[in-house]
Amino acid sequence: MDMNAPPPVLELTDLGKTYGRRGGRVQAVRGVSLRVDAGEVYGFLGPNGAGKSTTIRMLIGLIAPTAGSVRLFGKDLAADASVLRRVGSLVDGGAFYPFLSGRRNLEVLAKTHGGGGGRIDALLEQVGLAKDARRKVKAYSTGMRQRLGVAAALLGDPDVVILDEPVNGLDVAGIQEMRRLIRGLADDHNKTVFLSSHLLSEVQQVCDRVAIIHKGEVVRESTVAGLLEQEATGLRVEASPIDAAEAALRGNWPVERQGDALSIAATKAEAPRVARRLVNAGVDLFALTPVQRNLEEVFLAITQDEAPADA
Amino acid sequence: MLDAIAAEALKFRRHRATWGLVWIWPIGLVVIWLLAIGVELANGEAEVAAAPTAAGWIASATGFWNVPGHPLGRYLIGAFVAVVFAGEYAWNTWKLIVPHRARATLIAAKYAVALGLLACGFALGAAAFNALGWLEDVATGDPIPAGITAAALLKAHGLAALAASAPLVLTTAYVSLAAILTRSTVGALVIGLVVTTAEQLFRSFAPMLELYAPSLVGGLYRVLPGYHLGNLGSWLTEGRVLEIPFPSGVFSMSAAASLGIVAAWIAILIGLTFRSFRRQDIN
Repeated sequence: MDMNAPPPVLELTDLGKTYGRRGGRVQAVRGVSLRVDAGEVYGFLGPNGAGKSTTIRMLIGLIAPTAGSVRLFGKDLAADASVLRRVGSLVDGGAFYPFLSGRRNLEVLAKTHGGGGGRIDALLEQVGLAKDARRKVKAYSTGMRQRLGVAAALLGDPDVVILDEPVNGLDVAGIQEMRRLIRGLADDHNKTVFLSSHLLSEVQQVCDRVAIIHKGEVVRESTVAGLLEQEATGLRVEASPIDAAEAALRGNWPVERQGDALSIAATKAEAPRVARRLVNAGVDLFALTPVQRNLEEVFLAITQDEAPADA
Repeated sequence: MLDAIAAEALKFRRHRATWGLVWIWPIGLVVIWLLAIGVELANGEAEVAAAPTAAGWIASATGFWNVPGHPLGRYLIGAFVAVVFAGEYAWNTWKLIVPHRARATLIAAKYAVALGLLACGFALGAAAFNALGWLEDVATGDPIPAGITAAALLKAHGLAALAASAPLVLTTAYVSLAAILTRSTVGALVIGLVVTTAEQLFRSFAPMLELYAPSLVGGLYRVLPGYHLGNLGSWLTEGRVLEIPFPSGVFSMSAAASLGIVAAWIAILIGLTFRSFRRQDIN
């Protein structure tokens, strides 16, 4: 281990949260450990009730963990909450004071931060709310609140931005804009982004790494590409004659006929063996491709197959 | 800390609750006075009252400071404090600001702004009450006694304001704790109303209740804040302690003891508010 390496931006160690006492105990989060490095866009996935929001609330000091620790920039959050000044967050789709305008809300937040409001106009412009800045937030649509929430998260020019479901309520154009914004934070401004989303296609397009949380536990953590590769379901074979190909492979791998092709339960590493066996059997091989599921299929498979025991 | 107070003031300076529960005092007084004086002048039936003494006129002119200690005044104080402290739960906005400031600072800023705005509202109300009383005397021809000086008037206002500050701060302490514990504006309001009413009722009916449970009633009367609020007010504005006739004898305590007991109640309630919020999960 390089002792001179900077600490991870965010490090969770055996993080847990239990609600209630004795008979009514509910473990919302248990044993969550992960680390996020500078400049990464890290996705946090999980079905409803998996523990995503509870974990995010523990990251920003809204909820006290009952086990484990949260370290931000190498500092234990429980011992030094001032480190949260380097964190911007959007939780619950941007909850704001409904009786104040969007701009006034940001002014309140800037004063709470203890900083000036010099960035407010630029941020309102950046999230496309400059024209509506003087309207009261109670008249905002869900998407407008969400965009104001992003502006609020960026207000203190934080080093790490934590976004809970940032594309909720946005239209297609808004989602694309948000995707560009999130990627730009990491690529152009070297900020670290930790985001949760139920829109898996968004995560697939935006995130460098992902963790999948299910029933309060992290069940997978990987790069998006690595996860898809790990979860490849087999190989697809296009060959002729197809009957001879099926006969050559059966006995070594489970084979399933899919129209004019075969699907075999083999790993990518076994592809050369499959090819040799087909060639040796005198079969013409036209295509041999790994069958990859998209993130949504992977996510569903993991959360259905690997359900940890209930608390 | 000043930034946190400025943020809190920015939220509530023009909030509807501030207009309806704080600025209502000076504005309402002016409106009511204009109506009353208009009717009086229009009817032409104004009776010339007997000339009061200077002390009587000053006591009457500073009478508005009784409002913060009156049950209705305390209900309205409680309603405003409930909005200031529990509003963040209703708007779901604690999660917007908690990550950026120490929780103790956020609560301290709320106390500063709630008490500051209420103090401004009552001070303006008292000034309006005084000025309008004088104008009424001038308009209706009522005699204004000689010997009223600005210094005497200011001193009377100062002492009355001090007397009013005890129920104001105590009510704020009750309701702020209720707001943090219930996380509900209505819950805080109802608890504040019930506690304030119970405190006032016990203060009034304790002499009768003593017949049934003398030691319990005596003990409670000694430690609960009802008597002590009245005692402090009496000592500050009239220069004497309150003597309450009980079946077993006259009950009376020194102003210093009353000050200590009221201060202890306020410190405990506000301390519990800080402690409860520091440990609270914001879901």
